[in-house]
Amino acid sequence: MTENLIDKVDKLVQETGTTPDMVIPVLQAIQKEFNYLPVEALKRVCEITEIKPGNIHGISTFYSQFRLKPVGEHIVRVCIGTACHVKGATLVYDSFRRALKLKENEDTDDKMLFTLEKVACLGCCTLAPVVQIDEVTYGHVGIEQAEGILQDFLKRLENPAAASSHFESSGKALQGEVRIGLGSCCVASGSQAVKAALEEALSHSNINVLVKQVGCVGICNQVPILEIHKDGEIPAIYAKIKPEEVREVIKHHFKPKNVADRTKAGIYNFFDTIVNREIPRSLTYYNPESKETPVSEFLLPQLSIATEFRGELKPGDLDEYRSKGGFTALEKCLQELDRDELIAIIVNSGLRGRGGAGFPSGVKWRLVKQAQSDTKYVICNGDEGDPGAFMDRMLLESYPYRVIEGMMIAAYATGAGKGIFYIRAEYPLAVKRIREAITICEKEGLLGKGIMNTQFDFEIKIFEGAGAFVCGEETALIASIEGKRGLPTMRPPYPAEKGLWGKPTLINNVETLSMVSWIIRHGDKEFSAIGTESSKGTKVFALAGKINRGGLIEVPMGISIRQIVEEIGGGIPNGHKFKAIQIGGPSGGCIPASMADISIDFTSLKDAGAMMGSGGLIILDDTDCMVDIARYFLSFTQNQSCGRCTFCRIGTTRMLEILDKICSGKGTHGDIDLLEELGKSTQAGSLCGLGKTAPNPVLSTLRYFREEYLAHIDGSCPTGKCKNLITYSINEDCIGCTKCAQRCPTQAIEAKPYELHVIDNEKCIKCDICREICPTRAVIAR
Amino acid sequence: MISLKIDNKEIEVPAGTTVLEAATLSGISIPSMCFLKGHSNHPACMVCLVKDNRNGALVPSCALVATNGMDLNASDPDVLEARRKSLELLMSDHVGDCEAPCSLACPANMEIPLMNRLIGEGRFTDALNVVKDDIALPYILGYICPAPCEKACRRKQIDEPVSICVLKRFSASAGSDNKALAASRKLNLISPEPAGKIAIIGSGPAGLAAAYYLQIYGHSCTLFDKASEPGGTLRSDIPDEELPKNIIDLEVEIIRSMGAAFRFNTLVTEEFYNSDIKDSFDAVIIASGDTAAGTHFANLIASTKTGYQTDEKNMSSSLPGIFVCGSAIRPHKMAVRSVAQGKTAASSVHAFLHQKHFEKPAKIFNSRFDKLLPAEYSEYLKESIPDRRVMAVSGYTGGFSEAEAILEAQRCLHCDCRKKDDCKLRNNSDEYKIERKRFQVGNRKAMTKKVQHDLVVFEPEKCIKCGLCVEISSGESEKYGLAFEGRGFDVVVNSPLGVSFSEGLNKTAIECVTSCPTGALSFKNSNNNNER
Repeated sequence: MTENLIDKVDKLVQETGTTPDMVIPVLQAIQKEFNYLPVEALKRVCEITEIKPGNIHGISTFYSQFRLKPVGEHIVRVCIGTACHVKGATLVYDSFRRALKLKENEDTDDKMLFTLEKVACLGCCTLAPVVQIDEVTYGHVGIEQAEGILQDFLKRLENPAAASSHFESSGKALQGEVRIGLGSCCVASGSQAVKAALEEALSHSNINVLVKQVGCVGICNQVPILEIHKDGEIPAIYAKIKPEEVREVIKHHFKPKNVADRTKAGIYNFFDTIVNREIPRSLTYYNPESKETPVSEFLLPQLSIATEFRGELKPGDLDEYRSKGGFTALEKCLQELDRDELIAIIVNSGLRGRGGAGFPSGVKWRLVKQAQSDTKYVICNGDEGDPGAFMDRMLLESYPYRVIEGMMIAAYATGAGKGIFYIRAEYPLAVKRIREAITICEKEGLLGKGIMNTQFDFEIKIFEGAGAFVCGEETALIASIEGKRGLPTMRPPYPAEKGLWGKPTLINNVETLSMVSWIIRHGDKEFSAIGTESSKGTKVFALAGKINRGGLIEVPMGISIRQIVEEIGGGIPNGHKFKAIQIGGPSGGCIPASMADISIDFTSLKDAGAMMGSGGLIILDDTDCMVDIARYFLSFTQNQSCGRCTFCRIGTTRMLEILDKICSGKGTHGDIDLLEELGKSTQAGSLCGLGKTAPNPVLSTLRYFREEYLAHIDGSCPTGKCKNLITYSINEDCIGCTKCAQRCPTQAIEAKPYELHVIDNEKCIKCDICREICPTRAVIAR
Repeated sequence: MISLKIDNKEIEVPAGTTVLEAATLSGISIPSMCFLKGHSNHPACMVCLVKDNRNGALVPSCALVATNGMDLNASDPDVLEARRKSLELLMSDHVGDCEAPCSLACPANMEIPLMNRLIGEGRFTDALNVVKDDIALPYILGYICPAPCEKACRRKQIDEPVSICVLKRFSASAGSDNKALAASRKLNLISPEPAGKIAIIGSGPAGLAAAYYLQIYGHSCTLFDKASEPGGTLRSDIPDEELPKNIIDLEVEIIRSMGAAFRFNTLVTEEFYNSDIKDSFDAVIIASGDTAAGTHFANLIASTKTGYQTDEKNMSSSLPGIFVCGSAIRPHKMAVRSVAQGKTAASSVHAFLHQKHFEKPAKIFNSRFDKLLPAEYSEYLKESIPDRRVMAVSGYTGGFSEAEAILEAQRCLHCDCRKKDDCKLRNNSDEYKIERKRFQVGNRKAMTKKVQHDLVVFEPEKCIKCGLCVEISSGESEKYGLAFEGRGFDVVVNSPLGVSFSEGLNKTAIECVTSCPTGALSFKNSNNNNER
């Protein structure tokens, strides 16, 4: 063991903590330092802390964030979230394996340059399929692009773009405001480069506008987005803007303030206009008030409560949040409402937990309030782990103060003095924004002792989850904070009576807390007027998959599936047919297009065999194989099972094996019955919500798409998705361009210029490159 | 006090009692595996499920604390089926044999691995003791048995099977004093009163075996044989080169020395039966061999096409007091089958004399798996030696010397589970009559064995992930303890941070092994687990 390592570990431990509950933060700190967890470092931790070897071993192998082997210099993350999956993420992953020449069971290339990882969801569903290398995100990745992307990344390293300079208004009268989205999708789509271009353009022109970074606008399908706001003018929205287009847009809307500036700008622009005479034609310009545009169609059926002032608020700006009514709800609670009155408002509003199960929030608050204890906790559950769901991340990133305010109101109502934000470590931006917001609130006296000159004391800490879907389950989440493996425990006792450290604990989802201040400000009646009998208010969904306009939407409960797909989403792209929606992620189910008129609310979704879940909403078209979808979700939950109880640990594994068998054409009719039977047993016999809902995607597809299962039993995959059941061939449309032959990684196609090409199925690995690259669509997978 | 209902039975228990405890207190049996009193009892195995009648939910009773007004069902078909499924799922992920394949293949179910271990340790008398528990004539069978055990031997896959048959012969010859053993056995009478007089018709393998066990039970036997010498077909049909006659004499002599009387040149006909046997003996065993040579009791007891009609669970004929075994039922190719039936007949007669009913215990549940995977060869060899089959210097007929026998016995892979008699998974699987292969869909896991520890053998593929050992070893007394590694289906128990298993499990080793509900953790020395 090198002394250097010991010193570093000692220092990290000193900074982080030595008690057993600090094991996860300690490991996170060590991994941040070394990029993995060297076993010597772990042994050292055991020597100098109260953490035991068994515990550190159990923790470091439980959470997927932790790596026990050294990794390459750069991490390539292939998103295998739902939206990416339906757009071919598995093939993309395979293509990177080939490009990096990875050996079986190895994830790092020979040069230790790149390590390849699959990630559950990068939250850029509208850019699917997505690959991230370190901080650089590549969207709409084609299967044949792997090599090019790796090269592009290395090129960027050699020639780093100039770091974006900061700029601020110079105190002169502002000519307007330029808003730029800095949610994760926007950033992934290149909004940083757009921002850099904007700064560049402005610094040369002396145009005095306020550049404002706003949270997620929700129109993720159109990112990066640049909005121009000028007094007395209808805002202009530029979608899918490219950095090189920014200067012209700015010039079009703003003129320099004084002559000198104008001259300077003129000269500057003189050279510039040689290449860029007018607003580039490729640019999509939308007027948000015209009903005919995709942007307004996207936005109009929506209703913003959790996402109130979307695209207007700068995430970290407390003053702005306050200027729009922020913290008035808290003030009202502290000064006008007693705790029972407050809880009554939440009960009467009909708010139900937005994390999935839909337990009435007010009732939960009341249980915690009634529990007798001198210490109580409020936990904000931001362990959003569903592939294809990124609502919570967006809310945390874009409206940190709103979530904090919601948490404080909940704390006041229940008598809790301590709050914990449990946020996935995979959401670094969300962690950063909340951390900054907490610091600012503390400075402003909104957190701490005697808040708003009342008796109310409250403090907030952040706990970064280390990557385990099961920790979304509240008892597992608590175990995780306590420094244990994230294993769910039996309820009762419920956290409301015996939660964190055995104390009464309120656990609410991010989105639930985001709605609280609105309800207080507008009243329970206004909230309960929205929605259906069983489900009040709005719900935020991540709309993605085979849809023209994906993104983050907030809609009133009771809206129909059809409205979402057709009105908000603008239908299915490329002339394909709407087949089904997958709602609720791995806990949810598939609802066929024939049932598109059912209302989206807790009850009807459950009746349909799906569930609200946390809000992933994936649209599937006629090219999607439902057996493959079921297998995809089940493989996710199977992989995320904590492994504690028999039905979840082994039951989901056996179900997955049966599905594998069916997808490879070796299934029998008996297998379908066995699958269904095992699914029902796993629902009934599992201990926690993960196991109880894991069979839903399978059972719901068996319910609505049984004929597809039967087709697989008979040896064919109707949509040509299941690799083992398809073969590739080239038809008469082939023009003999040889492109496929050149790109085939296994030489399964011989290049014969101007001749009909032939695929050697012995050599073919079904990577799909030929089909993707063929200019005449002559490659057929069947 | 808390009052609740389980299976409609009103029960009162102190506050804080779990439903599992409440049920047990009131005589309602609920199976469990991961539960151990005094531990955290985080539900894992899910075989203790009960149904909440109020909402139909299935709940693990080990972690469910009784509350007033609870109304639970612990025995309806849903509950039983759910428990059965959890056992079937656990079994689908369980790799290992309960009984070794050789024992299961042996018509007499002899405990072959135990014999091998004892011979391997040089404990020859103990070995013979084990052999004679199931096989009365090991010396004879050691020459002529076709050895179905060796065909099932897992070692066969690696190189050649263990020479079980010759080892059995060895146990009966060189290393031990057979007569002394027989005599000492007779002293350990199982139930001396009342001692009966039994006529055994035929002194072939079945009759001799029956006589051996009946005398151990304390009864006196007279063997009638139409031939002038004992042994039946053993003597008449097998050439001397295969089975030297003196071997037959030696083994018969043991039985004679225990007190058995022989009446040769006596063809027992029905007439003879009526005159000389019926009133003079308390029970009769017909072990007269193949009935093709003539059925003498056709008017007395019912027959079938092949011989006398017999209930093979207890060798009883259609007439109480008359029992049948061996080729008299149907011609047996293997003498070992006749020998096994002789033992069953003896037990049955013994029970009959005590006015009790006997049935050969049904085979209890056995975990089994198909062939060894190549990766498993080295795992199994960890408890064995790599040498190929020992060829006796004195030739096949001469048999093993002591040194050769020890070496050959050490080739045994010890496939049998060390905890086969004390395994909750096996017992519950048996009780719930599970279908072993129901959920065996994909490829099974490869078996591994950790044998470096002085006291303990750890076989992770037998683990049900209950976590008891992890919890027990997590206390202050262990520097390292054991830890869970990984998550989900791939979770395993291991020693942490790369330390050896011996370093991990130290002070708490004994407690961990005794708490382990399956054979995953067992004592290395099989005597501590399940030797008689």
